[in-house]
Amino acid sequence: MIEAHGLSKHYGSRRAVDDVTFTVHPGRVTGFLGPNGAGKSTTMRLIVGLDRPSSGSVTVNGKNYAEHRAPLREVGVLLDAKAVHTGRSAVNHLLAIGATHGIGRTRVDEVISITGLDSVARKRVGGFSLGMGQRLGIAAALLGDPATLILDEPVNGLDPEGVIWVRTLARHLAAEGRTVFLSSHLMNEMAQTADHIIVLGRGRVIADAPVAEIVALSTGTAVTVRTPDAARFSALLGSPDVTVVPTGPDTFTVTGLLAPHIGELAASSGVVLHELTPVAGSLEDAYLTLTQDEVEYVAGGEATR
Amino acid sequence: MTANTGVAPARPAASGSGLSFAGIIRSEWIKLRSLRSTVWCYAIIVVITVGMGVLLASTFSSGGFGTVGGVQLAVQVATISLSLSVLVASVLGALVITGEYGTGMIRSTFTAVPRRIPALLAKAIVFSLSTFVVGLVSLLATAAATLPILAANGVDVEIDAEFLLPLVGGAGYLALTGVMSLAIGAIVRSSAGGIATSLGLILVVPTIVGIFGLITQTQWLIDAANYLPSNAGSFMYSVPVEGGVDPLTGATMLDPGFGLLVVAAWVAALLVISAVLVKRRDS
Repeated sequence: MIEAHGLSKHYGSRRAVDDVTFTVHPGRVTGFLGPNGAGKSTTMRLIVGLDRPSSGSVTVNGKNYAEHRAPLREVGVLLDAKAVHTGRSAVNHLLAIGATHGIGRTRVDEVISITGLDSVARKRVGGFSLGMGQRLGIAAALLGDPATLILDEPVNGLDPEGVIWVRTLARHLAAEGRTVFLSSHLMNEMAQTADHIIVLGRGRVIADAPVAEIVALSTGTAVTVRTPDAARFSALLGSPDVTVVPTGPDTFTVTGLLAPHIGELAASSGVVLHELTPVAGSLEDAYLTLTQDEVEYVAGGEATR
Repeated sequence: MTANTGVAPARPAASGSGLSFAGIIRSEWIKLRSLRSTVWCYAIIVVITVGMGVLLASTFSSGGFGTVGGVQLAVQVATISLSLSVLVASVLGALVITGEYGTGMIRSTFTAVPRRIPALLAKAIVFSLSTFVVGLVSLLATAAATLPILAANGVDVEIDAEFLLPLVGGAGYLALTGVMSLAIGAIVRSSAGGIATSLGLILVVPTIVGIFGLITQTQWLIDAANYLPSNAGSFMYSVPVEGGVDPLTGATMLDPGFGLLVVAAWVAALLVISAVLVKRRDS
């Protein structure tokens, strides 16, 4: 369980995280979405105390991260695959981190095996690919067998097989009752992995809802209509709340009316319909709809600096 | 799992062991010995300590040196490399912490030890102890190699406290200077900056102060130079002289114990500053 209350982080006049309040619950995968620079990584760093908040607070399992007796057994974190000394071997890296909590060789070998690093465990990390670095970061996060996992862009640099592995792992960990909080900029990835999504834009939470609800934000809002009587029917549909956009000689897209309603209207006015298709919303559409303003705002802000 | 007995409070075994200072010490020891830079720097220290001592001893021809001042001579031969090996210890000391800032490892370290200062302290303890041991072993090896050469040239030295204490002091100087650079590294957070600042303080500052003191004939400036870390440190491995004045140069000499105090004060001051910054800054 991660709870943030009015969490803010300012760098000079820039508000990287701006009065953010959310709760990440155990037993499910919570996705953390947002455009680059939205403040996802900063928020995650604030959770584990690498950055200190300008105001507000964030707790993990009811306490500040630093106040836990065994932080690594409470929270496993992958913030940056490069948080490793390049001159050390993977196994020594994990042994050094584990030693702080009395975690020994047995568990280190376990996480190496879980993350599939057996063949490179004794090689120096400097020669690792991005994907191997991610696996090592995830291995470090799993070391303490923690109840809460925070993974910042875990699929970054992984091959398709690795992506599926992370997805399965995240779902498996959540099914065990753990709190899994992962960020990604890959919307489709999130749709397949997360149960719940928190969308961050320009340092603020702009959505916090189950995946289905987020997808529904854009589902059914648009309907494609094909009819030989396009001109007359589109005029019939017209009203201040309804937008009709022609997309071809006999097709147009309607927003503001649901498909059943349009069908009934066609039947009552004797219009022949060749097609009546609700445009299925995707998480990507929902995300773009949600973050569009934020992105533009950020771009505008950058330009005036 | 059994490594952290003693410091860690007793806790139920089911939840597994928690964060303990003994564990952090162990972690820093694993980190120190698993890097090539450590192995290289320590190997260089051993080689130049023994090599320079033997080289210096071999250049003495018989005659010209009586038994008077034999201990001074033998100590000087054994510790001749220190002004150089201290630079190597200093570079390694800086790298111990700046290597973590440079690679991002520091974030893993501070995630495991979120209170941070125990990690910094453990680093300082582990690094100073291992550097002290390496320093002492190489100085004793140098003594073992050079005493017979000196004896063959008519300089007989008794192996007693008067001879051994400066060697221990030399190893202590090596360790303390290394830790001082570690603290500087934690303050500046970059390898280049940490090494440059440390070497500047050890090499350049004493030279500048000394030259200005001589040119302007300012006695207090000449005396003040004694309180710089490398100058004060040099008294840690010298044989105390009656009256506290160098018979050759006429310069004021500090007592070895007082030299140790001065160097320790530098280390303590820089460690406190680095601890405050490490605790307060984002990383």
